[in-house]
Amino acid sequence: MRSKLLLPSKFKWIGLCLFIPFLVLGILNRYNDFQLDFLTIVREHNNILNPVQNLTDELSLTGSIISLLMIAFAKEKHEDEFIYHSRLESWEWAVLINFILLLLACWIFYNEAFIDVMMYNLLTPLIIFIIRFNWVLIRNKRSEEKN
Amino acid sequence: MQNTIKVERAIKNMTQADLAEKIGVSRQTINAIETNKYVPSTILALKMAKLFGKKVEEIFTLEKGD
Repeated sequence: MRSKLLLPSKFKWIGLCLFIPFLVLGILNRYNDFQLDFLTIVREHNNILNPVQNLTDELSLTGSIISLLMIAFAKEKHEDEFIYHSRLESWEWAVLINFILLLLACWIFYNEAFIDVMMYNLLTPLIIFIIRFNWVLIRNKRSEEKN
Repeated sequence: MQNTIKVERAIKNMTQADLAEKIGVSRQTINAIETNKYVPSTILALKMAKLFGKKVEEIFTLEKGD
Protein backbone atom coordinates (compact mmCIF):
# COMPACT_ATOMS: atom_id res chain seq x y z
CA MET A 1 0.00 0.00 0.00
CA ARG A 2 1.35 3.38 -0.94
CA SER A 3 2.62 5.13 2.12
CA LYS A 4 0.64 8.22 1.02
CA LEU A 5 -2.47 6.50 2.31
CA LEU A 6 -0.90 5.61 5.63
CA LEU A 7 -0.87 7.49 8.91
CA PRO A 8 2.17 8.03 11.18
CA SER A 9 2.95 4.97 13.31
CA LYS A 10 1.80 6.55 16.59
CA PHE A 11 -1.81 6.31 15.33
CA LYS A 12 -1.69 2.58 16.05
CA TRP A 13 -1.64 3.30 19.79
CA ILE A 14 -3.97 6.30 19.60
CA GLY A 15 -6.44 4.10 17.73
CA LEU A 16 -6.14 1.30 20.25
CA CYS A 17 -6.68 3.67 23.20
CA LEU A 18 -9.79 5.09 21.51
CA PHE A 19 -11.23 1.80 20.28
CA ILE A 20 -11.64 0.18 23.70
CA PRO A 21 -13.84 2.92 25.27
CA PHE A 22 -15.93 3.26 22.10
CA LEU A 23 -16.43 -0.50 21.94
CA VAL A 24 -17.45 -0.65 25.61
CA LEU A 25 -19.83 2.26 25.03
CA GLY A 26 -21.33 0.46 22.04
CA ILE A 27 -21.81 -2.80 23.93
CA LEU A 28 -23.36 -1.05 26.94
CA ASN A 29 -25.66 0.86 24.63
CA ARG A 30 -26.73 -2.20 22.67
CA TYR A 31 -27.26 -4.64 25.56
CA ASN A 32 -27.90 -2.43 28.62
CA ASP A 33 -29.67 0.49 26.91
CA PHE A 34 -27.04 2.81 28.29
CA GLN A 35 -27.32 6.33 26.85
CA LEU A 36 -25.33 9.50 27.26
CA ASP A 37 -28.00 12.10 28.08
CA PHE A 38 -26.22 15.04 26.47
CA LEU A 39 -26.46 13.22 23.13
CA THR A 40 -30.24 13.37 23.07
CA ILE A 41 -31.59 15.62 20.34
CA VAL A 42 -35.13 16.87 19.94
CA ARG A 43 -36.54 17.68 16.51
CA GLU A 44 -39.61 19.83 16.88
CA HIS A 45 -40.80 20.25 13.31
CA ASN A 46 -40.09 16.95 11.71
CA ASN A 47 -42.70 14.44 10.67
CA ILE A 48 -40.37 11.90 9.06
CA LEU A 49 -37.67 11.28 11.66
CA ASN A 50 -38.22 10.29 15.25
CA PRO A 51 -38.73 13.56 17.18
CA VAL A 52 -36.50 12.49 20.06
CA GLN A 53 -33.30 10.63 19.31
CA ASN A 54 -30.23 9.70 21.28
CA LEU A 55 -26.95 9.62 19.39
CA THR A 56 -24.99 7.28 21.71
CA ASP A 57 -25.12 4.41 19.20
CA GLU A 58 -24.06 6.68 16.33
CA LEU A 59 -21.17 8.00 18.39
CA SER A 60 -19.94 4.57 19.49
CA LEU A 61 -20.09 3.12 15.98
CA THR A 62 -18.39 6.14 14.40
CA GLY A 63 -15.71 6.13 17.09
CA SER A 64 -15.11 2.38 16.75
CA ILE A 65 -14.77 2.59 12.97
CA ILE A 66 -12.47 5.61 13.03
CA SER A 67 -10.23 4.14 15.73
CA LEU A 68 -9.99 0.80 13.90
CA LEU A 69 -9.13 2.68 10.69
CA MET A 70 -6.36 4.45 12.61
CA ILE A 71 -4.91 1.11 13.77
CA ALA A 72 -5.23 -0.51 10.34
CA PHE A 73 -3.75 2.41 8.42
CA ALA A 74 -0.88 3.27 10.78
CA LYS A 75 2.60 2.90 9.30
CA GLU A 76 5.00 0.37 10.70
CA LYS A 77 8.20 1.83 12.13
CA HIS A 78 10.16 0.58 9.14
CA GLU A 79 7.95 0.46 6.06
CA ASP A 80 9.45 -1.59 3.27
CA GLU A 81 8.37 -3.94 0.52
CA PHE A 82 7.85 -6.95 2.77
CA ILE A 83 5.53 -4.96 5.06
CA TYR A 84 3.75 -3.64 1.98
CA HIS A 85 3.33 -7.16 0.67
CA SER A 86 2.10 -8.49 4.04
CA ARG A 87 -0.36 -5.62 4.29
CA LEU A 88 -1.93 -6.30 0.89
CA GLU A 89 -2.07 -10.01 1.58
CA SER A 90 -3.77 -9.36 4.92
CA TRP A 91 -6.47 -7.24 3.24
CA GLU A 92 -7.09 -10.11 0.87
CA TRP A 93 -7.51 -12.47 3.81
CA ALA A 94 -9.72 -10.03 5.68
CA VAL A 95 -12.18 -9.66 2.80
CA LEU A 96 -12.32 -13.39 2.18
CA ILE A 97 -12.79 -14.43 5.83
CA ASN A 98 -15.29 -11.64 6.36
CA PHE A 99 -17.52 -12.91 3.56
CA ILE A 100 -17.19 -16.54 4.67
CA LEU A 101 -18.35 -15.50 8.16
CA LEU A 102 -21.14 -13.44 6.63
CA LEU A 103 -22.32 -16.38 4.51
CA LEU A 104 -22.33 -18.65 7.55
CA ALA A 105 -24.16 -16.04 9.62
CA CYS A 106 -26.73 -15.64 6.86
CA TRP A 107 -27.78 -19.26 7.38
CA ILE A 108 -27.39 -19.44 11.15
CA PHE A 109 -28.90 -16.21 12.49
CA TYR A 110 -32.39 -14.83 12.05
CA ASN A 111 -34.40 -11.71 12.93
CA GLU A 112 -33.00 -9.60 15.74
CA ALA A 113 -29.82 -11.69 16.01
CA PHE A 114 -29.03 -11.04 12.35
CA ILE A 115 -29.12 -7.28 12.98
CA ASP A 116 -26.43 -7.84 15.62
CA VAL A 117 -24.41 -9.82 13.09
CA MET A 118 -24.71 -7.01 10.56
CA MET A 119 -23.52 -4.52 13.16
CA TYR A 120 -20.47 -6.59 14.01
CA ASN A 121 -19.93 -7.09 10.31
CA LEU A 122 -19.31 -3.36 9.96
CA LEU A 123 -16.18 -3.81 12.05
CA THR A 124 -15.00 -7.32 11.19
CA PRO A 125 -13.08 -6.55 7.95
CA LEU A 126 -10.90 -4.09 9.87
CA ILE A 127 -10.54 -6.38 12.90
CA ILE A 128 -9.61 -9.43 10.81
CA PHE A 129 -7.10 -7.35 8.86
CA ILE A 130 -5.47 -5.99 12.03
CA ILE A 131 -5.21 -9.47 13.59
CA ARG A 132 -3.84 -11.15 10.49
CA PHE A 133 -1.34 -8.37 9.66
CA ASN A 134 0.05 -8.22 13.19
CA TRP A 135 0.14 -11.99 13.40
CA VAL A 136 2.34 -12.11 10.27
CA LEU A 137 4.70 -9.55 11.79
CA ILE A 138 4.85 -11.32 15.16
CA ARG A 139 5.39 -14.74 13.55
CA ASN A 140 8.22 -13.32 11.50
CA LYS A 141 9.76 -11.65 14.50
CA ARG A 142 9.72 -14.95 16.41
CA SER A 143 11.49 -16.82 13.62
CA GLU A 144 13.96 -13.92 13.47
CA GLU A 145 14.85 -14.45 17.10
CA LYS A 146 15.40 -18.16 16.47
CA ASN A 147 17.84 -17.50 13.62
CA MET B 1 12.82 -19.82 -5.28
CA GLN B 2 15.83 -20.65 -3.19
CA ASN B 3 18.54 -18.30 -2.07
CA THR B 4 21.97 -18.41 -0.49
CA ILE B 5 21.76 -15.13 1.41
CA LYS B 6 22.50 -16.75 4.74
CA VAL B 7 25.70 -18.26 3.32
CA GLU B 8 26.71 -15.02 1.63
CA ARG B 9 26.13 -13.19 4.88
CA ALA B 10 28.32 -15.64 6.73
CA ILE B 11 31.10 -15.21 4.17
CA LYS B 12 30.97 -11.44 4.62
CA ASN B 13 30.52 -11.90 8.37
CA MET B 14 27.33 -9.83 8.44
CA THR B 15 24.30 -10.12 10.69
CA GLN B 16 20.74 -9.84 9.38
CA ALA B 17 20.66 -6.36 10.87
CA ASP B 18 23.87 -5.31 9.06
CA LEU B 19 22.53 -6.48 5.72
CA ALA B 20 19.15 -4.87 6.36
CA GLU B 21 20.74 -1.53 7.11
CA LYS B 22 22.99 -1.65 4.04
CA ILE B 23 20.13 -2.20 1.60
CA GLY B 24 17.60 -0.06 3.44
CA VAL B 25 15.02 -2.59 4.60
CA SER B 26 13.98 -3.94 8.01
CA ARG B 27 15.59 -6.98 9.61
CA GLN B 28 12.21 -8.68 9.39
CA THR B 29 12.40 -8.49 5.61
CA ILE B 30 15.82 -10.14 5.47
CA ASN B 31 14.58 -12.85 7.78
CA ALA B 32 11.46 -13.42 5.67
CA ILE B 33 13.58 -13.71 2.53
CA GLU B 34 16.08 -16.12 4.15
CA THR B 35 13.31 -18.36 5.42
CA ASN B 36 11.68 -18.35 1.96
CA LYS B 37 8.55 -16.64 3.23
CA TYR B 38 8.98 -13.71 0.92
CA VAL B 39 10.37 -13.33 -2.60
CA PRO B 40 12.15 -9.98 -2.84
CA SER B 41 11.59 -7.47 -5.62
CA THR B 42 14.09 -7.28 -8.48
CA ILE B 43 15.42 -4.05 -7.02
CA LEU B 44 16.18 -5.68 -3.68
CA ALA B 45 17.69 -8.76 -5.33
CA LEU B 46 19.99 -6.55 -7.43
CA LYS B 47 21.02 -4.53 -4.39
CA MET B 48 21.94 -7.70 -2.48
CA ALA B 49 23.86 -9.14 -5.43
CA LYS B 50 25.79 -5.91 -5.78
CA LEU B 51 26.62 -5.89 -2.09
CA PHE B 52 27.86 -9.50 -2.13
CA GLY B 53 29.74 -8.92 -5.42
CA LYS B 54 27.93 -11.73 -7.20
CA LYS B 55 25.41 -12.18 -9.99
CA VAL B 56 21.74 -12.35 -9.00
CA GLU B 57 21.42 -15.89 -10.35
CA GLU B 58 24.30 -17.05 -8.17
CA ILE B 59 22.31 -16.03 -5.10
CA PHE B 60 18.75 -16.78 -6.22
CA THR B 61 17.86 -20.00 -8.01
CA LEU B 62 14.55 -21.27 -9.31
CA GLU B 63 12.99 -24.36 -7.79
CA LYS B 64 10.78 -26.98 -9.41
CA GLY B 65 7.31 -25.56 -9.82
CA ASP B 66 8.42 -21.91 -9.98
